[in-house]
Amino acid sequence: MRKTFLWATVAFMLIPLYVLTVNAFKGQQDILADPFGLGGLTLEPLGRALTNPQFNVVKGYAVTLLFVVAVNVLSVVLAAPAAYVIARSPKRRFRVLMLFFLAGTFIPGQVLVIPVVYVLKTLGLMGTIRGFVLFETVLTLPFSIFLYAGYIATIPAVLDQAAAVDGASRLRTFWQIVFPLMRPAVATMVILNTFSVWNDFVNPQIILGPGSGLYTVTTGVYAAVSQYSTDYTVVFPTLLLAIAPLLVFFVFMQRHIISGLTAGATKG
Amino acid sequence: MTLTREAPPAVPEAPALPKTRRGDGWANTIMVAPATVLYTVMLIVPVGLALYLSLTDWDGFSADPAFVGAANYLDLLDDPELRRAALVTLLVAAAGTAGLNLLGLGFALLVNGASKANTFFRIVLFYPHVLSALVVGFLWSAILGTNGAVNNLVTKWGGEVLPFLSDPAWATVTMIGVLVWAGFGVNVVLYLAGLQAVPHSLIEAARIDGATRWQVFRNVTLPALGPSVTVNIVLSLVTLLKTYDLVVSLTAGGPAGQTQTVAYLILWNSFHDARLGFGSAQSVLLMLVTAALAFVVTRLRRRGELAVHQ
Repeated sequence: MRKTFLWATVAFMLIPLYVLTVNAFKGQQDILADPFGLGGLTLEPLGRALTNPQFNVVKGYAVTLLFVVAVNVLSVVLAAPAAYVIARSPKRRFRVLMLFFLAGTFIPGQVLVIPVVYVLKTLGLMGTIRGFVLFETVLTLPFSIFLYAGYIATIPAVLDQAAAVDGASRLRTFWQIVFPLMRPAVATMVILNTFSVWNDFVNPQIILGPGSGLYTVTTGVYAAVSQYSTDYTVVFPTLLLAIAPLLVFFVFMQRHIISGLTAGATKG
Repeated sequence: MTLTREAPPAVPEAPALPKTRRGDGWANTIMVAPATVLYTVMLIVPVGLALYLSLTDWDGFSADPAFVGAANYLDLLDDPELRRAALVTLLVAAAGTAGLNLLGLGFALLVNGASKANTFFRIVLFYPHVLSALVVGFLWSAILGTNGAVNNLVTKWGGEVLPFLSDPAWATVTMIGVLVWAGFGVNVVLYLAGLQAVPHSLIEAARIDGATRWQVFRNVTLPALGPSVTVNIVLSLVTLLKTYDLVVSLTAGGPAGQTQTVAYLILWNSFHDARLGFGSAQSVLLMLVTAALAFVVTRLRRRGELAVHQ
């Protein structure tokens, strides 16, 4: 009974993915005649989606990957040392700093995007890759610092003190002794950041804008699909190309994602 | 979210070892300064700016927006578009929160316990969450649209086209359904985390005393899950109140603007109509409503949790 119900749910969850996959390999006539069937499979629509002038998928992957890597690197370099000081120093001012960062987890991104345009214009970073990467990085800081600080608190402070006695500076102690031990927390955060940067639509759409000619996977899908929403030979292959790398990444990383989410929810 | 709680406690100071050395203060500053400065410039300053811009008529281009006082807020009061969007948003948030949490808790109970099958179920329930909401919306609109997969079948079998996305009421329900489909896997995972904290001995004791499954759930599991329920409800509410991407791809706000959410309206007014001052006022409103609802839910739930423990 329980098993039957669960398998029925599995079917319901996976049907959209099935429809997406089979129809990405069919012509418009076959899609309309039998959207669930396997008749008339062809690679032609997928090939056309790959070379769509509206949205260069390969370039979209490259641009998005560049953003993912840049945001992840910057986020770790900025958040990890800050979290270390916050977690290790008993000083009141660092506890206040933690609350200051935590406040950021409550501010919805859409509320920020309008005034951020103003800030970026003032700084001369509007419409630039640098401006976009910096803003996306800042969006990751509150939760990263929260997660890292919680994790560092579980690493024995005796380790740092031993390094200090041996004459290592505080910076060196952190990067050489503590940081390598933070690998699980960093892995979780990198995975979560990867999904949020890859899937973000509002921020690249507004900060990079159509004028920059830079399409991420999401803004590219929007450009390609919203105009041809009735031509399913465009819609299905484009969507499949957009999610395929992410689904593969998810299948390999699901253990870390699910445990990371769980840790984030139960700590504190 | 539990994120409001205090920072993790500082590690107890070890005795006899040098706690602070000359230069540590500088090192601390160097380590926190870059994150703090960037965070302040790009997150705290913008929040302040949103407040300021909401009092101006900024169009997004002019260097010196004119100060218009409370005019934008007064415009908000009798803006029929916003009133409709606010209703849609609250409906989506309320019905969506109910759906996400009932399904989340229900399925968490069903797939609790370590087994290969349960791991598979969890992955399948969770996977839509990693897809971008934009893609999810396009996908479901290709399935449920007038010429979509489902309607093709229905008409082939001699039925009438079902207006999943073309009738205002249907479209709202469809949108809530898709949001729940795409999101409840997260709630399953969060409730599973909560279930690990339910004392196993208590459940066994209740079983031995002859309690039914429902009685055990009602009197042991659910009270122990109290904090998880709070986290899940607040998280769902905060997320659903800013529904945007899915509106863009599933309904594009249609039919006739009937499924526009507040977040959708904010960006539409700001960037399509070049009324960033007005959009900022709506943003401030959304931020205040979100904070107020999260606060009220947390307070109500805390009272509920206390009542259970007494």
